[in-house]
Amino acid sequence: MRTRIYWAPSLLAIAIASPAMAGDLNVNGFLSVGASMLDDNKASIAGADNQGGFKNDTVLGLQVQKQVNDSTSATGQLVSRGSDEYATEAAWAFVTFAANDDLDLRMGRLRIPFFQYSDFLEVGYAYNWVRPPVDVYRVPFSSLDGVDLTQRFSSGSIDGSIQVYYGRFQGNFNTGTDVYASDYRNFAGLALSATMGDFGTRLSYHQAEIIMDTSDPTTALGAASAGASAIATGLGDPNAAQDFNFSGQTSTFIGAALTYDDGTYSAVAEWTALEHESSLFLDDQAFLVGVAARFGEFTPHLTYSAEKDTLDSGNEGKIQKALPLQSDQSSITAGVRYDYDSSTALKFEIQNNDETTTAGADGDSATLYSVAVDLVF
Amino acid sequence: MKILKHSYSILLISLASSLVSAEISVIVSNNNPNTTINQTMVSKIFLGKAKSFPDGSQAVPIDQDDGAAARGAFNSTVLGKSSSQLKSYWSRLIFTGKGTPPKQSGNDAAVKQLVADNPNIIGYVDSSAVDDSVKVVHKF
Repeated sequence: MRTRIYWAPSLLAIAIASPAMAGDLNVNGFLSVGASMLDDNKASIAGADNQGGFKNDTVLGLQVQKQVNDSTSATGQLVSRGSDEYATEAAWAFVTFAANDDLDLRMGRLRIPFFQYSDFLEVGYAYNWVRPPVDVYRVPFSSLDGVDLTQRFSSGSIDGSIQVYYGRFQGNFNTGTDVYASDYRNFAGLALSATMGDFGTRLSYHQAEIIMDTSDPTTALGAASAGASAIATGLGDPNAAQDFNFSGQTSTFIGAALTYDDGTYSAVAEWTALEHESSLFLDDQAFLVGVAARFGEFTPHLTYSAEKDTLDSGNEGKIQKALPLQSDQSSITAGVRYDYDSSTALKFEIQNNDETTTAGADGDSATLYSVAVDLVF
Repeated sequence: MKILKHSYSILLISLASSLVSAEISVIVSNNNPNTTINQTMVSKIFLGKAKSFPDGSQAVPIDQDDGAAARGAFNSTVLGKSSSQLKSYWSRLIFTGKGTPPKQSGNDAAVKQLVADNPNIIGYVDSSAVDDSVKVVHKF
């Protein structure tokens, strides 16, 4: 009685034979209320300052999923973020067509699967941190409009999936201080993940052609772009300034992660690299290593994360250095998660961020204190 | 006499469950062609990683309600996860549209009824609740 076989011949057959709960409407949601405070304003972490506040880590999400028929479902997820003035955005809005038990085709607004935690980035309940370390989770947008295919596989004790996607993202690139109108074309990538017993691994590759308006000299990128021309002229190589904009050059992102979870002890290691054809952004690498242990309802955890920029070669690199653009930072995050009940977690976390280099100069360090309540319903 | 027997077994069960966790039976309809299903497969079906029985027919797992006695035992023994871990596991799938957890479908009696009526449904009950309306494919 493979009901899927019958979908083409007769809808009536489905209505009678389908054990899949066709017509069901699932409503789920998540809410994170977080407060954070920085000990001083010499360095910046996660948009926080030394006056404290609830805004940056407060997120509300509401998801509705409707099973249209045996093979098709529609999912919409609205997310309202404190960091975005509580503006409501459709983080996900897609239709899934299950070609068979193991192959899904999705169309619509999808989450870009950059990172290990990308898919549930805003569902604080799903991880131990108040927020994934910002040194590594540094891409300031998370969704695109397009299509993806996910093929699941299972062989012996290995389960996994391969996801490929193609689409476009048009929207604001928000650095926290400035907002740039941007267009990411031919946005494509793939993510491979597998689990075997307590171990998991994930590899991903992404690329896009970026067009961004950096013409306003009062913005940081606009000023850098204008500055690049002056420096290039000074170097006697005006052509070197040509790549200090975003006019369709390709950027790529590579990520690799390893996870371990035996129920009591867990660990995660994630490494990522960004490479830009444009010289206005520096290529960089970032990684994190974290461990956690569950003692009943308490889960203490500890994470080290770091990010380092790389200068381009030749005169482009000299201009990047002179502007100056490069930064280099690391963080230690220590915290504890308390599972109040099976859908509510309380978290407390201390993050010390050391900006070894910021905008080419010696940076400062600062400590961020955060508390959060995460719920799923 | 019957009443006495009944209260006796209740007493025994509550004694047993206070000492060791209750024995759990994974059940399917008598019309389901599968005779046994191993732990790996049961676990895959209940974690949404497998959607078919070994014979290829569609498998629809159903859960007991939050707080039901058999549920905690099933989660820890069969799935090897605490309720918080499971919630976290499912929240990763729910909010990415990649899966929905098995429907919470009541207690032993309600699950047994649903399983008996539909060959695609697979559930679990305390072994003491098993009768000939359903077929046991695995015991833990």
